[in-house]
Amino acid sequence: MNRVRKDPALSRRHFLRAAGGAAVALPLLSSLRAGAAGENFPKRLVLMYTPNGVIPDAWWPQNVTSETSWDLNIIHKPLAPFKDRLLFLGGVDLKVTNDGPGGLHQKGIGGLFTGQQLQSGDLFVDGCGQRAGWANGISVDQEVAKKLAVSTPITSLELGVRATENDVQGRIAYAGAGAPLPPMNDPSEVFQRLFSGFGQNTDQLAELRARRQSVLDTVQAQFKSVSARVSQADQQKLSAHLTLVRDLENRMAITGNGSQACVAPAVPAKLDPSSEDDMPIIAGLHLDMLATAFACDLTRVASFQISTSLNHIRYPWLPSMGEGHALSHMGPSDDAAHHELVARQTWHSQLLANFLTRLSQIPEGSGTVLDNTLVVWGNEISEGNTHSHENMPFVTAGGGWYFRTGRSLQYTSASHNDFLVSILNAMGVPATTFGQADLCKGPLPGLV
Amino acid sequence: MRIVHRLLGSAGVLSLAVACSSAAPSTPSAAAAPPDDGDGLVCNADQHPAAPLSLLTRAQYDATVSDLLGDNSQPSSSFPPENQVSGFNNNTEVHIANPLLVEQLMGAAESIAGRAVAANLGTLAPCAGTSTAELTSCGAAFVTSFGKRAFRRPLSDDEAQAFNTLFAGLNATRGYSPAVELTLQAFLQSPQFLYRMDSELAATPETGAVPLDSYQLASRLSYFLTGSMPDAPLFAAADAGTLSSPVEIETQARRLLETSRAKAVVRDFNRQWLQLDSLSGLARNAPEGMVDVKGIGADYRESLLQFLDQAFWEHGNLQSLFLSPMTFVNARLASVLGLAAPATGFASVSSAPGSVGLLSQPGLMAMLAHADQSGPIQRGVFVRQRILCLDVPPPPPGLNPVPPDPDPKLTTRERFAVHTVSRACSGCHKLIDGTGFGFEKYDELGRYRTQENGLPVDDSGEMLDTGEAAVNGPYHGVVELSNRLAVSARVERCLATNWYRYAMGRVETEADGCSLREVEQKFHVSGGQFKELLVAVTASEAFRYRPAMSGAL
Repeated sequence: MNRVRKDPALSRRHFLRAAGGAAVALPLLSSLRAGAAGENFPKRLVLMYTPNGVIPDAWWPQNVTSETSWDLNIIHKPLAPFKDRLLFLGGVDLKVTNDGPGGLHQKGIGGLFTGQQLQSGDLFVDGCGQRAGWANGISVDQEVAKKLAVSTPITSLELGVRATENDVQGRIAYAGAGAPLPPMNDPSEVFQRLFSGFGQNTDQLAELRARRQSVLDTVQAQFKSVSARVSQADQQKLSAHLTLVRDLENRMAITGNGSQACVAPAVPAKLDPSSEDDMPIIAGLHLDMLATAFACDLTRVASFQISTSLNHIRYPWLPSMGEGHALSHMGPSDDAAHHELVARQTWHSQLLANFLTRLSQIPEGSGTVLDNTLVVWGNEISEGNTHSHENMPFVTAGGGWYFRTGRSLQYTSASHNDFLVSILNAMGVPATTFGQADLCKGPLPGLV
Repeated sequence: MRIVHRLLGSAGVLSLAVACSSAAPSTPSAAAAPPDDGDGLVCNADQHPAAPLSLLTRAQYDATVSDLLGDNSQPSSSFPPENQVSGFNNNTEVHIANPLLVEQLMGAAESIAGRAVAANLGTLAPCAGTSTAELTSCGAAFVTSFGKRAFRRPLSDDEAQAFNTLFAGLNATRGYSPAVELTLQAFLQSPQFLYRMDSELAATPETGAVPLDSYQLASRLSYFLTGSMPDAPLFAAADAGTLSSPVEIETQARRLLETSRAKAVVRDFNRQWLQLDSLSGLARNAPEGMVDVKGIGADYRESLLQFLDQAFWEHGNLQSLFLSPMTFVNARLASVLGLAAPATGFASVSSAPGSVGLLSQPGLMAMLAHADQSGPIQRGVFVRQRILCLDVPPPPPGLNPVPPDPDPKLTTRERFAVHTVSRACSGCHKLIDGTGFGFEKYDELGRYRTQENGLPVDDSGEMLDTGEAAVNGPYHGVVELSNRLAVSARVERCLATNWYRYAMGRVETEADGCSLREVEQKFHVSGGQFKELLVAVTASEAFRYRPAMSGAL
């Protein structure tokens, strides 16, 4: 993608809160010089989600003779340059889906990164008549954001590629029980949010901050006075909204550390987020902007989802003219469906490989941003035609500061909640349980 | 919130899950017997459903900003989409603030206020004077007049004071125009603007059912029937305190139904009721020799919406919705469907082959299909859930549903017959597939056909366990089914229920029982007139009252 190359002196920046198309930047101050000594760089977490299970025979590492001696399978061939940064975790089950309301796709996507069951209720019905509410807790990325995002302009970035199902089947990130975070599907909106205001000077920034402060102070006072006059249920809604306004105001004061690679990308062309044809371009733009957001330290936590569970999307550019969910139901004997699914899943891993490549091109101290990033890739079911929640296809990339990578591990019916605990620990969050506590024994052994 | 009672039994998303197993074919909707005066409802004047805070949807935000400031830029296009329940995006339980929305609301307020002040300062906040006292006085006038329209009621003394203080401070430090602009931003981010508030504590403790005040009623009427803030006549009625009378409410409702914004509301409802958003990403394999079908979902959607517009505004009743022979096509759809192409835009075609009402519409049939074949299951589920408000029972635990791979030598019906032959699946699927097989003469592009893969198409279906004897039984094709549904009491009640949910921004609860029954009865007595249905909703007690709040200011 073409980048806007600006005056090198201006390409090092740090940022004030971006909001509603008013992201702003100013030249890096000498006191904020990135990573002077000590190599103590921010850590980043990316959750990646792809739907409808995988073809295990083409997904899991092959020729495994030991943890460190194995070959990538067909689907992961694009990740070959990063083999020593990967960690495959076999034998991890989504035990949290064993009980509780909802259909298999609903429970899977809701529990994947929250480690929680779905709330009971009548809100959502899946195609088979199963009903449930939202996931009943915070997702691991948001738990990490509480620690990592205190000093970034944006708490976390949720990105979606045709993730346009606005119910439990379409959400992976949760700020809390029943509080899903919607993904952004349109790269031009993402650009607007992150980069549109590049180039304002310090005085302009101070003025903008002062204006917003006076407005938001009045707004917050209004929330408080209205809250005193409404029912308890309404108070909860207003109080949640007020907290978000307060957070918005607090983050205005935050400046991030920009590296040399912090250069705004070109303005993306207007694309159709509902078009399957535009999916590859949108996915590429999203991940490119995310890498830049890391380089600029606009955020340190993100999630990236390719569509939603139970979708009926074709991948015509591959070409795969079958519909995702229907294809995934085909048994192993269906060669044509098998080949299409492998091609689709290989495309997913190519996206990850492209993203890792971008991160590895962004210098940070003596290494790169990839050295300080952990990507966790999951799916709401393990296999489409069984809808099993056992032996989930989990792989991580990066996180080398904590995990011993380049390995393929085999657990026996481990709980994925413990995997989520390991992710928290890797990101510097001390924890021994996450999500449904009775499914936790502590971090997965053997990872560090 | 658990839903404890349904007039329609297990309607739509509703709660009466029915076990589906190979051993015991389900008896769905045992509770779905048509309600009548003996349905056990006790209409207690003191029992009224809650009237929760309701956050403006994107469409409401844009329309409101347009009416308030003449800003037609549709600023909500960057807002995250609302969460949905039973198809509707205005559900007060799940349409709530999230970080991205709050951030975008700030950005929208900033750009709207910037545009407003740049273009209209003189009308928005006129000021002839130049002294601080004069400017402050102009600011106070702006706060009073604009504030009332933004909050949809007069400002309280405390509110006026808060905004006057903000304005005066800004005026002193930054000048008049920036002060107006930033005060405007604060209005647009305040909860009184962003939320509709129907329940506020009174000065003294309340009991029983409490009538909404005139301003609250004005907003209920305007957001239900126009999707926007109250217009000048509604404000005038609220100011005069006359809106509390049922006659005045009906007069206003009928007036609002004739405004152009009402047209947008009906479209918004139809789009959500029938879940037409799934058409925007519609992907269909192009048949050989066919025009490019990329992006054709938008054509289908417009075609359907025009059909629905005509049914609502011109024909006006439920019977025509199911029996009108009209289809709307543009050049591309005409080409796909083998009809004469209009010179420009969309035009109506009467009595195209197989054309009978909503259920035969090419857009609907295309939506309810796969990329490469028709979709008897989607069609069956659609009719049962959206048209009849029947539950689709969940599959038995552990069942792995595997749809058949398209076999070019078989008809779609033969391929899907496995569902109804297999004992494990048949309990539920005979309900769904029996409903959907009757649509087999419409393919995945909504084209009418009598043959598939050289074999004659069998469009016999069977309606089972619908809770209405006149609907149950075998049928042949969409014409016969549509004639049955056009006079079905259950269909009538189902549509009334959906409009009620849309109007109230909630799925109904036990406390809605009496109001909903009254709405259904009026709709029935009117002979299925859509406008009478909407007027009946505004006349219902649930629309006009709220429960007493505990405590007092």
